[in-house]
Amino acid sequence: MIQTVNLCKSFGDLIIFKDLNITVQKGECVAVIGPSGAGKSVLFRTIAMLEKPDSGQVFINGTDITQKDVNINKVREKLGMVYQGFHLFSHLNVLDNITLAPVKVSGMNKTEARKKAMELLSMVGLTEKATSYPHQLSGGQQQRVAIARSLAMDPDIILFDEPTSALDPSMTGEVLAIIRKLARSGLTMMISTHEMRFAQDVASRVFYIDEKSVYEQGTAQEIFQNPQREKTRMFIRKLKVFSYSITSHGFDMVAMNVQIELFCQKYNIESKKINHIQLVLEELILEVSGEGESNRQLKIDYTIEHSEERGEILISFNYEGDFFNPFGSEGEGDHLGIVLITGIAKNFDHAYKDGQNTININI
Amino acid sequence: MEFLESIVNSFTNNLILNNGWLVVLKGLWVTLLITSSGLFFGTVIGAILCSSRLSSIGLLRVTAKTVIAFLRGSPVLLLLMVFYYVVFANSRIDAVYIAVIAFALNSGAHIAEIMRSALSAVDKKQLEAARMLGFSKIRAFMAITLPQAGRIARPVYQNATINLLQWTSVVGYVTITDLTRTVNNIGARTGDPFFALFFGILIYLGISYLVNFMFTLKIRKRKAL
Repeated sequence: MIQTVNLCKSFGDLIIFKDLNITVQKGECVAVIGPSGAGKSVLFRTIAMLEKPDSGQVFINGTDITQKDVNINKVREKLGMVYQGFHLFSHLNVLDNITLAPVKVSGMNKTEARKKAMELLSMVGLTEKATSYPHQLSGGQQQRVAIARSLAMDPDIILFDEPTSALDPSMTGEVLAIIRKLARSGLTMMISTHEMRFAQDVASRVFYIDEKSVYEQGTAQEIFQNPQREKTRMFIRKLKVFSYSITSHGFDMVAMNVQIELFCQKYNIESKKINHIQLVLEELILEVSGEGESNRQLKIDYTIEHSEERGEILISFNYEGDFFNPFGSEGEGDHLGIVLITGIAKNFDHAYKDGQNTININI
Repeated sequence: MEFLESIVNSFTNNLILNNGWLVVLKGLWVTLLITSSGLFFGTVIGAILCSSRLSSIGLLRVTAKTVIAFLRGSPVLLLLMVFYYVVFANSRIDAVYIAVIAFALNSGAHIAEIMRSALSAVDKKQLEAARMLGFSKIRAFMAITLPQAGRIARPVYQNATINLLQWTSVVGYVTITDLTRTVNNIGARTGDPFFALFFGILIYLGISYLVNFMFTLKIRKRKAL
């Protein structure tokens, strides 16, 4: 239904995407996710030929619409687009917004177009607003009208470009409900969204766009439950990462603690938790650095991952050297630090591989 | 009583005797002719200048920009005199037509800028939304951008019309007997300039109100639709 082949697009020196290949089958609902500025909107606009690709092809229903002799207006009659900012025709009322294109483009007669518009309005729950003007409607209502306007042309495909990003949380629900309904009805659609839960519910497949291309794709299950690649994982879990390396015994622990505190404050981590993180790291460092004595080169790397979604902290702590599990030596009462750590951590584990000890701790 | 009597006297002297009112009507006709034709051709010229100004062809854009800047920057009276005494000095064209040309050019430049600002104030994404529904570029412009730009431009366009009407009062400089010239002549003849000139102002005021009324009429019609 939609296929792009080696699609490239750049604005001046700024490369938006390079050799991007996607395929969307008939009846599929595909969610496009990715960080802001990754090119989701540009991708949609390029598929609709609102932006000309630098190279590559876009196939809609098997026709390459990048060719010059293609009547793009005819293609767009069957290719709807719903925008982040609604863009209803502000000089026309709701009913005329919906009937304009069927009457003027498809040549449908007025009574028929009105009848159909009223059906669409009842589907989006706005029959009583038929004679209102766009500025009299709330954002959510405007977006629902925009969806009805798009549906009035009986499109084969609808592209939803961040349909709820301009809406406050109380209004996103009503719009998402309509899109869900459409997805169930078997309309082919692509949705770019930041509503992860919605994407997970409604999409049959998910494209994660990053690094100027499709970085990872798969079923909603695969992408959301078990993302394979690093950036996808960080994006899905809303991970924020802090990493630090220690290479000498005389490192500046005070400065390190300040950095950790700044990182944590940036992401609104509560101060009790910050204290715990600092405490755990201090004790671990002391344990580990004390073991090898000072004649050995110290090599410790650790990362603190903060998952905004789950409110969890994961510390992964790496150190070079012989096998040494600080949690292994139970019963030797004098390791007060270890007692502290086990008290704070939700769970922890230790692994050893190729001269590397790894400790993972959840807080 | 005396005051009232003097007004009646002035009225008779200025307007009734020697068929003064007929002369006033003639002057009024000339003023209206110059204003309405100036506005009509000005709008046509404005549309042409505006579309050239927004054209993708660089040369056309620069030319339009220069022409607009020149016409807007030069006083309409001087423009009128240049046309009358220089450009058409040796031709037999009626002064009224020369005035129409001068005012059409001057208001055309203003109207071009009014149109341009109105067009740029319309949400361009709406045009794009129409294109996504299958409209061609021109049809989308006619169905979406033009009606909206029209609404935005209306109050300013209305002002430009009134402005044009009032500026036509300078055509007396090039021998045209318009409303202003007429009332001035009558005042000079009867030796009662206050009444005659004041009467002239009242007529201009009346036309201005009529113009404003006509513009609101158009809106009411649209709202009824």
